[in-house]
Amino acid sequence: MTKFITNRRQFIKSSAAGAALVAAPAYLRSTAARASGVVNVWTYANFIPDDFKAEFEKDTGIEIRIRLVDDQGKQFNLLAAEAPNPTADIVTVAGHRFLQFISSDLLAPLDTDRLKNWGNINPIYSESDWATINGNKWGAPILSGAEILAYNTEVVSEDEVKSWDVLFSDKYSGQTAYTIQDMMSVVMLYKGYDGNMVAYMDDPEKAAEIVAEARDFLIEKKPLVRKYYDAGAEVQQMFINQDIVLAHAWNGPIAKLITDGFPVDMTIPKEGTYGFVYTLNVANNAPNADNAYALLDALLANPEVGAEMTKSSGFISTYKGADQYLSDIEKKASSFTEEELAGLQFFRAEANEMKYKLVDPAVEQIKAA
Amino acid sequence: MTFWGALMRNGVYQSVSTTLFKSQRRQFWILASVPLFWIFFANLGPILEMFWIGFLDSYPPKVGHEPQFTLANWAAFFQDRVFIIPFFRTLAFSFIFTAITLLITYPVAYFLAKHVSRKNQLLFLLLLLIPFWVGEIVRTYAIMILLGNNGAVNLALKSLGLIDRPIPFMYTGFSLGVGIIYLTALYMLLPLYSALEKLPDNYLEAAADLGAGAWTRFRRITLPLSREGIASGCTLVFLISTGYYATPVLLGGPRSTVFAETIAGFFHVAGDQWPMGAAFSSIMLIATLGVTGLFLKLMGRDGKGMMR
Repeated sequence: MTKFITNRRQFIKSSAAGAALVAAPAYLRSTAARASGVVNVWTYANFIPDDFKAEFEKDTGIEIRIRLVDDQGKQFNLLAAEAPNPTADIVTVAGHRFLQFISSDLLAPLDTDRLKNWGNINPIYSESDWATINGNKWGAPILSGAEILAYNTEVVSEDEVKSWDVLFSDKYSGQTAYTIQDMMSVVMLYKGYDGNMVAYMDDPEKAAEIVAEARDFLIEKKPLVRKYYDAGAEVQQMFINQDIVLAHAWNGPIAKLITDGFPVDMTIPKEGTYGFVYTLNVANNAPNADNAYALLDALLANPEVGAEMTKSSGFISTYKGADQYLSDIEKKASSFTEEELAGLQFFRAEANEMKYKLVDPAVEQIKAA
Repeated sequence: MTFWGALMRNGVYQSVSTTLFKSQRRQFWILASVPLFWIFFANLGPILEMFWIGFLDSYPPKVGHEPQFTLANWAAFFQDRVFIIPFFRTLAFSFIFTAITLLITYPVAYFLAKHVSRKNQLLFLLLLLIPFWVGEIVRTYAIMILLGNNGAVNLALKSLGLIDRPIPFMYTGFSLGVGIIYLTALYMLLPLYSALEKLPDNYLEAAADLGAGAWTRFRRITLPLSREGIASGCTLVFLISTGYYATPVLLGGPRSTVFAETIAGFFHVAGDQWPMGAAFSSIMLIATLGVTGLFLKLMGRDGKGMMR
């Protein structure tokens, strides 16, 4: 065996080659993402309507490359993994999750002066208190959703769903489903507390007591639930298969079932619920920021586009006048009565750090119980 | 002259190959470099990074906060029974599912190895492989279609007049077990088939001639000589079933939460507790490797174990 001889020059050459090899994926990734005629969008299925996409690409020559996401947490993970040089230009963040993305430096403040159609958004959404953080806007609101009570109309009557009580009744034991994380906030509201926990920011002990009460309630009711689910497609599947007849859900997936003709309806019970708004945001260090603004402005240009978004996703458009382009059944599937809307309040992010430090372990305790 | 012949006679090729393969040691390192790179960067790299993240107090990095070293994420597992319950439930499920998979696939492997002609064995194996051409999620949805309230099993029982109302198979330990066993059966079957196929028929014939009954032949000859296949199959199925995430999420119910779901919760939920998730993943990895090592020791792959 001969000695494996090396010298300083060889070592430097080898090190340089190794470093280049290791750095190559990041370089290739950023080069692939950066292209003059491209905008990379991470968003939920059906949020960007196909017809709009084709027309935008034809008019501007900018190709919209969509990467589908199905969960805010997964999107955060993807973006955090690619930071500080993401491949995404636009991401889709729910308003109450802004802080999480902003504190990790993943979003760029939105320059609304570059969006001449910004005024087409209903100010209830664009000028809402949650929309401004650290003096900046961080996203263009496009669709609004709510935590609702969904039910099979052939089994459950309209009178029974006036209260969240029905979800925990023995009558429908083994025929209900919910997402525990969201249900914790709803249960706090159901029990008369502030599920956003903003009211208890100065009283962490009280906050802990409330979370414990909500947790114990859901543990007590655990024998009645059929399934804790995570994704909208799961709850749709369970209703279609008749595995469940009642569920806490997001209005978008249920609206799709209604417009598809399934015997399902939804309501906001008298105790109230929480709403959220999906926004399109420009990623920090977006490789094609100019194209991102061009796309955002085009999306906001026409209320018909907002209506198309509602038709394809089931969520409610934030655009002024979008509802005039919806059919009666689409309007029914994407709207609530005045009485129901009176109980709707938006998720807020101010107390998120304290809230989720308490809620996350509680969720695990409910699952393990 | 062929291309390869021309290449061999090419001066540049000769000088490069002479330089590269000058010594055995250099040959060894050149040949080993690709697999070593793969093992260290693609396999061990992510696991080591996970270990490292498990010792940080926050990750991904937040603006204005430098991550600090901490043991709190590891300690949390032992301080709260909430986390220990799904951990042991996962190990218990995996153990039970592995045992059932072994019981189901052993006769199939034996039939295939000993009663199907050599010509048809390939065809049988191909048939068994067909479900594996589609992904885990698609096969899991197939189970959902089968076991749902409106699924094939309930509809068949209803049409036979055996039930009035659908049996709630889905979102229970039963549906989870069916799914996991379906997904992992081939990982058990192939090593078993491989071991049984090598078993000489004349051993069994000689035992029969000497008066050994079927049970004795199985216990004294077939089982010990298929030990390698059992050990490999059980190891594979156990390791795979402890790590399954999507299938328990889709098929499991409120009372069958597995540890992979607990870990995923730390990565997905609003609180962003990657370090806790990373520490728990490491604990799971260490535990499953420990259990597997113990199992292999008991099985005695060196010929000194319990199945002598």
